[in-house]
Amino acid sequence: MFEGEYGPGVQKAMAMLVEYGEVWDAERMVKVHNAHTGLGGGKWLEEILEGVEHLRAFTTTHAGMTGASKGAEALGLKEEFRKQQAEMQEQTMAMCIPKGFLPAMTCAPYLVGNVPTAGRVFSWPGSSGIIIGNSVFGARGNRDAMPASMASAITGVTPEMLLLIKENRYADLLFKLEGLDVQSFTRADYGAVGYYIGRVAETKKVALEGVPETVSFDALKFLMSPQPVSGAVAMCHVIGVTPEAPTVEEAFGNQKPEETITIGKKEFTEAWDSLHTAKTDEVEIVFFGCPHLSIIEIGEIARLLEGKRIADGVRLFIATADQIYSLAERVGYIDTIEKAGGVVVTGICIQGFPYPELKSPATTAATNSARAASYQARRGIGIQYGSTEACIKAAITGKWGG
Amino acid sequence: MILKGKTVKKGKVEGEAIVSQLPFSYLGDLDVNTGKVVPEGHDLKGQSIAGKIFVFATGKGSTVGPNVAYMAKQLGNTPKGMICIEVEPVMAMVAIMNDIPMVHRLDKNPLEVIKTGDYIKMDANEGIVEVTKGG
Repeated sequence: MFEGEYGPGVQKAMAMLVEYGEVWDAERMVKVHNAHTGLGGGKWLEEILEGVEHLRAFTTTHAGMTGASKGAEALGLKEEFRKQQAEMQEQTMAMCIPKGFLPAMTCAPYLVGNVPTAGRVFSWPGSSGIIIGNSVFGARGNRDAMPASMASAITGVTPEMLLLIKENRYADLLFKLEGLDVQSFTRADYGAVGYYIGRVAETKKVALEGVPETVSFDALKFLMSPQPVSGAVAMCHVIGVTPEAPTVEEAFGNQKPEETITIGKKEFTEAWDSLHTAKTDEVEIVFFGCPHLSIIEIGEIARLLEGKRIADGVRLFIATADQIYSLAERVGYIDTIEKAGGVVVTGICIQGFPYPELKSPATTAATNSARAASYQARRGIGIQYGSTEACIKAAITGKWGG
Repeated sequence: MILKGKTVKKGKVEGEAIVSQLPFSYLGDLDVNTGKVVPEGHDLKGQSIAGKIFVFATGKGSTVGPNVAYMAKQLGNTPKGMICIEVEPVMAMVAIMNDIPMVHRLDKNPLEVIKTGDYIKMDANEGIVEVTKGG
């Protein structure tokens, strides 16, 4: 492939991966079992796909443009913006689908059948997917940016280095939950813990003690996804849950932690407070879907909205993948949510929502996602942070905490 | 002063240094339309890294960083070269995708020995950085 015998795109992709591997002295390329990639890059994308007839790895695609989503019209975006994005995405799709890209259009490939099993190699962009792949599934993936995962989709390989090697996966820091009622933790509580860990750990690998072994997958999603936003964590061993970490000793490869950090009431409250940045209790937008919602989460929201109606002037946006939407539609969840005044869209990144492109702009938003809260606060959006129940209540009453 | 480091992306380049003590993310930290650093509280806030040799701690943040740098490059708003203490995968891909010569793991801490305004000659093929005090 490096010699160009499979065309210029494959050659360019392989050259990039060789350079990438040389940075960390990788000795060889290994097969990628699960690829996932974004379709951005414009002219660069056309160049790297030149002469590529079919991908060499199973590859799903990342969330796309807001204006191009199914249901975008109901979001109240400016028409010109919506049409422009829809056209751009359609052109990219026409180029990519025949080559084998599966247009899942989600940040949560594990929801739609792209599930890496323990010990296998994945190459995904999207920092929430990466930490979940490593820590929940026990699969092996690096913080591969979009061009790296695109090159792996094209060639089917990635350099063997960093988190792909067992010895490099052990934790550096040990976090312990103490004095908290973990059994009744909401998703937002897990999100606050994840936010705190990321802020302290920065780029380090972590282990967390004190999470019940019966914790749900969705709760883990909320625990993991803020860590690479408040920090750059790609590996969080949850003791008794992560396949490689049945015990603290195994999470650390029998070495001592560099440091042990307790998360008690004080740290937990501090994290909650820094996530809630809105200066007002007036509710403008309530959103869920960062990362994309599972069918279980959509079901919970539908039950909370059953027979209710959201307040006038409040917008309720819910984001998921097409496949989950179909299931939710089949069992009536979508109908319940729409009757209550909510909008369910697919294929978009809800945390990156283009607020300035709304016909009627907003400056605050309520959410149960610490990941989205952390991202949007940087863009100057005032965040009302709370559990799924608190957010739905706010949508119905129009008042935060009311 | 001559520093020796390890190649991230090959190439030879020279120019004026601009130094930050912080980790950097092309998504969020850079305004692609001006090449200026955006966030409040950043030690380079309001300053442009375009056309300079950008010296910083390491990479951080979103995996879309290389694509943001690609947009900045189309507008001429990326640095000419990059030097950091220890690179991570997202920042390495910024350099590789956008053909920005880069070295890391120098024999001295670049954030201590290089100052904004110094003149840098970089041979990233060999990992050699020549620093001329100035500015």
